[in-house]
Amino acid sequence: MRRIAAISLAVLVVTLLVLAVPRPARAFGDRGAFDARVLLAGGTTGAARPTAPLRWAHELVMRTSAPARSRPTSVRADDGEIVSGPFLYWSGDVALTPLSSAEVSGLRRFFALGGLLVVDDAGVNFDGEKSEFGKTARAQIARVLPDSAIIQIGPEHVIFKSFYLLHRAEGRVQGPRTLDAIVRGGNVQVIFTNHDLGGALAQGPTGVWEFPVVPGGEAQRDHAVRLAVNIAMYLLCSNYKDDQVHAPFLIRRRSRVRESEP
Amino acid sequence: MTRFVLLAGGLTTHFAPSSDFPTWAALLACVVCAVSLLALIVEMRVRRSGRALVLVTGVVAVASLLLAVTRPVRIAARESRIGPRVIVLADASRSMDLQSTRGGTRKAARDQAIAALQASTKEARITVLGFGEGTPFPLSEGDAARPRSDLMSALVPVLKGEGETPQAVVVVSDGRLSEPESEKGLHPLIDGLNVPIHTIATAEESLPDATILHVGATGSAVAHVPLPLRVEVLCTGGLSCDKLTVTARELRASGAPTLLASGLADVSQGHGVVDLTITLDSFGPRIVEVALSAPAGDKIPENNRRFFTFNVARERLRVLHVAGRPTADVRALRQWLKSDASIDLVAFFILRTPTDDPRAPNEELALIPFPVDELFEQHLASFDAVILQDFEVAPYGLRPHLPRLANYVKERGGGLIMVGGPASFVSGGYARTPLADVLPVKLDGVPGHTKEDLAKFTPDWTDVGRTAPILAPLRKATNDEFPQVEGVNVVGDLAEHATALLTHPTRLTPSGAKMPVLAVGEVGAGRSIALAIDGAWELEYSPLGSRTQGRGYAALWDGLLGWLMRDPRYEPAQLSLPAGCTVGTKTRLRLKAVSGMKPEGTKLTLKRLDEEAAVIVVPIDQKADLLSGVDIDLPALAEGGYTAKVGFGTGPSTSLDFACEAGGDEWADPRPDVQRLRDIAKETHGDFAFAWDASKLALPSPTVVSAERHVVPVAPAWGWSLLAAAALGAHWFIRRRRGFG
Repeated sequence: MRRIAAISLAVLVVTLLVLAVPRPARAFGDRGAFDARVLLAGGTTGAARPTAPLRWAHELVMRTSAPARSRPTSVRADDGEIVSGPFLYWSGDVALTPLSSAEVSGLRRFFALGGLLVVDDAGVNFDGEKSEFGKTARAQIARVLPDSAIIQIGPEHVIFKSFYLLHRAEGRVQGPRTLDAIVRGGNVQVIFTNHDLGGALAQGPTGVWEFPVVPGGEAQRDHAVRLAVNIAMYLLCSNYKDDQVHAPFLIRRRSRVRESEP
Repeated sequence: MTRFVLLAGGLTTHFAPSSDFPTWAALLACVVCAVSLLALIVEMRVRRSGRALVLVTGVVAVASLLLAVTRPVRIAARESRIGPRVIVLADASRSMDLQSTRGGTRKAARDQAIAALQASTKEARITVLGFGEGTPFPLSEGDAARPRSDLMSALVPVLKGEGETPQAVVVVSDGRLSEPESEKGLHPLIDGLNVPIHTIATAEESLPDATILHVGATGSAVAHVPLPLRVEVLCTGGLSCDKLTVTARELRASGAPTLLASGLADVSQGHGVVDLTITLDSFGPRIVEVALSAPAGDKIPENNRRFFTFNVARERLRVLHVAGRPTADVRALRQWLKSDASIDLVAFFILRTPTDDPRAPNEELALIPFPVDELFEQHLASFDAVILQDFEVAPYGLRPHLPRLANYVKERGGGLIMVGGPASFVSGGYARTPLADVLPVKLDGVPGHTKEDLAKFTPDWTDVGRTAPILAPLRKATNDEFPQVEGVNVVGDLAEHATALLTHPTRLTPSGAKMPVLAVGEVGAGRSIALAIDGAWELEYSPLGSRTQGRGYAALWDGLLGWLMRDPRYEPAQLSLPAGCTVGTKTRLRLKAVSGMKPEGTKLTLKRLDEEAAVIVVPIDQKADLLSGVDIDLPALAEGGYTAKVGFGTGPSTSLDFACEAGGDEWADPRPDVQRLRDIAKETHGDFAFAWDASKLALPSPTVVSAERHVVPVAPAWGWSLLAAAALGAHWFIRRRRGFG
């Protein structure tokens, strides 16, 4: 009896694990699906939160119509393949080494095509103060895009309404309400988070969240996931939600949400 | 001075004063003689006797004295009379085909007037030329009537050209002249020439007729923007008109014309005006018929309706972009569409399917319902092009609107692009739907049929794809390369009037042809494009995209959307009708192909806009130099709208919509303008006459020209002097004998 129960439990666990794996995008169209591509540059060898890209893809597929790669890829900045997709995710918690000229060149080619880079500071402290990664990443991006200034983008920006209506940015830590960004020609090219977005997304194979989210707990984690979904939707839809046709709906909903807030 | 002319052996002989004798002196001598004779006559009246001999000798003496002074010479010359050169300019425009109130046509009256003129002045050297457009031409029977009556263009070579300037010009016309706008406009031509322009009117008044005199548009036609039209109507020839109904309809490639507006014109003193407002939804040349309901007694029905070709511009190209899910391909297309300021983009992306769980209430989502009914029922006509990208029919309520969408392409001339993806073509549920009928590829809806091919491949350029202007920007940007893509929607053979530009390297259609990957087609009045991949974005994001700075993607869509919207840059040829089309006149179509188009297999067809069948194939010289442009004579066409379409083998085609009018500008105002002819004659010191009085027109006299000339004095000077002295002496002697003082 115990054996049957054990086998049943094992089957159940395996089934749950299978279900927990992100729903793969349909094979046809997979190349155009969202790929949370990890950027390897400045000495990084992977994402600071290795499971975050997969979870990101999973949440996007579960919550939206957007397809996502079932196996997010990674690419070196000095690899020619860097221009093979419009998205890069660069995270870390330690200081970066200066980018080589090949890496700078690769990133410049990526940006020249209109690609979007998310720089996620996994070492940020609870107050949202930048880690050495965040500081050095900004310095290196300044080398890649020397004429670009970093600005703050808040709830009025389309990223905060590309799928969910968000009032602020949140991650593993609550951090600042806004995101830092480099915007060129109306398009966001680089997003700097001081929230450890990957930390909120990281989930182990058993489905357990890897890091606690402070101070807001699971509600804050869900907001962080929403931000991640919005970033992906911004990537795939561009400024679609800035179209005039959406304006009356969004204004009405935002005012309704504000009225319901304490 | 009087000259006495004798004919002798081919020579003419006449007498004249000595050549060293100035005219004024001769005149003075004549005056002195006349005074002397007068004095003599007065003197004779006083005397009662002996007058006759005194008078005779006095007259002889005066005459002898005059001869002694003038010393006459005899001139023998070979002379000829040259009749005046007279150019008769006969109006050859279509208005001359109108009936005259005296019976017969104005043209017949014109010809009779010319014949009468020629008969009445045998000596005049009359040259009869026709005028209509441009330079005058020899008038001959059977000539097609000209669509204009441009007198100015005819007068310029006549009066300013090389050769003998005429001594008079005779214009035979009904007075409805296109040029000059007023008789004052003739001055630059005639000033300093002393050439009178006589005019002959071929008609006095018009037949009873109601006509559309003029249609004026305020501003230019812009798609989707109301366009005010002012329609002037005219009732002439005593036709009784009170109110006339005027309608404006748009001719369409298939089906009945669409009523755009109608109104009543109040006619007062034969003239009425009605203001109509029309809205044309499609850009490019659109043909609008403006017609009136004429009362009974109207004798010229041909001018009761006019056709106008409005070249409808667009403020911005209005594009509806509908995507079934956000992908990199959707992103690339949206960014390209948004980057073009001339495109007014309306986009709807499905961001959440019924099975997705956003884990948030709707109030926290930035999603709006997909307004499928509103879009496709109310606003579809307002779009110039619709792009369906990876969009599935069933879940979003599109199926009921597919007939309307198909009609939008086929009959309203809309553009449609279907872009591939897992929810496109057969996978999207479009097989065996009305929309499948307007796609350039056939869709196999058999259950179990392979809908997608997941293999990686690099599309092949077809022969047409390598030369067609539509892909020229892409070929240039990528140097004829195309990136490897992953997956393709499986589609069938090409539809009729469709062309494949890219094909799959290995997959074949049911007919055994290479499967189209990119195909374009003409469907009724519209055009459609099938792009059966969702990897075009890799023209931007790929090593090839990086090498070409992503220009390939923009170049591809520049060509696709440009061709869909009939941008001349992407058409395989240009078609035009330099002189328009009027029933009964020769219609000439100009065809100029772009580089790369081969004349072999070129096919030109004509089709009436309001008829499904009756396609006329117009022969084209297959060896003609199409790149330089050729003029093709069209067969005689009846009144109505037509589409001329030229195709190059299996390549894309291009078309031109045009209208043929029965009346046209020349019959719009059937009233003869007699006053204008009178004014022209008066302004140029000519005479005016009606056609039936043409023989009364006074033409210039002939000119006498001497070829051979011999001058011999009649008598030596001393002889004349001796004669004068003797005559005077005799007269004096007689006077003395008769007791005169």
